[in-house]
Amino acid sequence: MQSSRIFGAVAVTALAFGLGTNNANAVGAPAGTPINNTAQVDYTIGTVNTTASSNTVTVTVAEILDVVVTAQTPTVAVNAGDTQQEVRYRVTNTGNGSETFRLVMTSTIAGDQFDPIPATPSIYFDTDASGDLSPGDTPYVVGSNDPVLSADGFVTVLVVNSIPNWVVDTNIGFTRLTADSRTGTGVPGTTFVGQGVGGVDAVVGTTGADSEADSSYVVSGVSLTAAKSQTVVDQFGGARPVPGARINYSIVVNVTGSGSAINAVFSDNIPANTTYVPGTLRLNAAVLSDGADADAGDYSTTPAARVRVTLGNLTTASGPQTVTFAVVIN
Amino acid sequence: MVKGLKILGLTAIVACGLSSQAFAQDKGCIALKSTAEVEQEVVNAKGEKSTKLVPLTKVVPGVEVIWTITANNICKQPSEKVSINDAVPEHMTYVANSAIGPGADIEFSVDGKTFAAADQLTVVESGASRKARADEYTAIRWNFKNSFAPGAQGFGRFRAILN
Repeated sequence: MQSSRIFGAVAVTALAFGLGTNNANAVGAPAGTPINNTAQVDYTIGTVNTTASSNTVTVTVAEILDVVVTAQTPTVAVNAGDTQQEVRYRVTNTGNGSETFRLVMTSTIAGDQFDPIPATPSIYFDTDASGDLSPGDTPYVVGSNDPVLSADGFVTVLVVNSIPNWVVDTNIGFTRLTADSRTGTGVPGTTFVGQGVGGVDAVVGTTGADSEADSSYVVSGVSLTAAKSQTVVDQFGGARPVPGARINYSIVVNVTGSGSAINAVFSDNIPANTTYVPGTLRLNAAVLSDGADADAGDYSTTPAARVRVTLGNLTTASGPQTVTFAVVIN
Repeated sequence: MVKGLKILGLTAIVACGLSSQAFAQDKGCIALKSTAEVEQEVVNAKGEKSTKLVPLTKVVPGVEVIWTITANNICKQPSEKVSINDAVPEHMTYVANSAIGPGADIEFSVDGKTFAAADQLTVVESGASRKARADEYTAIRWNFKNSFAPGAQGFGRFRAILN
């Protein structure tokens, strides 16, 4: 027993046991996998060579409970009063066995300028994988259709809120999705005996078996203003608005606010008692043909005579957009 | 064996104590026992921390398991050329420099057939030979230099992490 005494005096250096010191948040050996070890020994007695085996040690891999929620749309641009605005999350089972997770959302979070208003229902599965809220998406009902995720499996979840109508440009409102393991949560290493896959122990991993992620709604209002000016050139070298005189119109479209005006289109009816001068339509001095074709502008007579210019997506960075055209007084 | 025990003490391992649990797996002269343990931190009444080896009840990915193979000569005549051979279990990765075995030369293998000392084991990759990495080892062999007298015991130990 001398060696036993020596052992008692020795301190072992590296601490290997425990979840805090390892990379347990990646899927490894599946829960329930038997880890077997049988050693062999060869030896000689006299001249006889012998081989023998040890007992077989079997250790069963326990289930590790881990989950990670990631915000896939960390910021979403909205306007005051918007309804049914979704943010997208991915809930991933980073444990090593199939597990059921409970989902909870909240929009009452400190540090923002407004609280988004949870819709009813407020959590959906992105069933049709469209990435946004659509009629094919299934509402989540806690305890009823809790997602069951295989090891390394994930589900895409939409959290839906409305935006108060009193918010102003650049205001931020947070919303949060939390997922936790139905088997249990706790400090890493917490064990739920026999409650894992196939009756193995379930052990809380480094994530604590719960995870949350925030997204931000950013009020990104945008407004377009158009300032129209005109110059009259009569056929006598003057500026009198007489029949036959030409009116040159110039419209400057300005963008204000932090958002984007999507697919902005400028349209202006030709004034009564005037006739559009073919070939005079311009956008930022570039000539636009009158036909409805590849360029951004066209002239049409139905239902009413008008010019139209597609401005595309506009932000303050786009700068003023200047449209010009001319008419002749009938 | 006294010298061996000193080495044992320096490398912080336990050999005795296992023998009481060991049993003869066969009717031969060397009883071989394999054990899986983990280190666990314990705090005594004075608040001092230390670690001890405890039998493995469960294992989760990332945990380091300490495998110990104990060979005990249960015959009345000496055993010569004692060699313990153990595979790194499936789903596990050998921890570099973790194999110990007082009184034994330790060899490793990548293919389970060719064994060599750690600094001499090579693998062929893309037609070129290079030194094998510890995480590629699949088997370990302890070749004991001295014979086992009746009642004598030796052991090999290594650590492996569950993938």
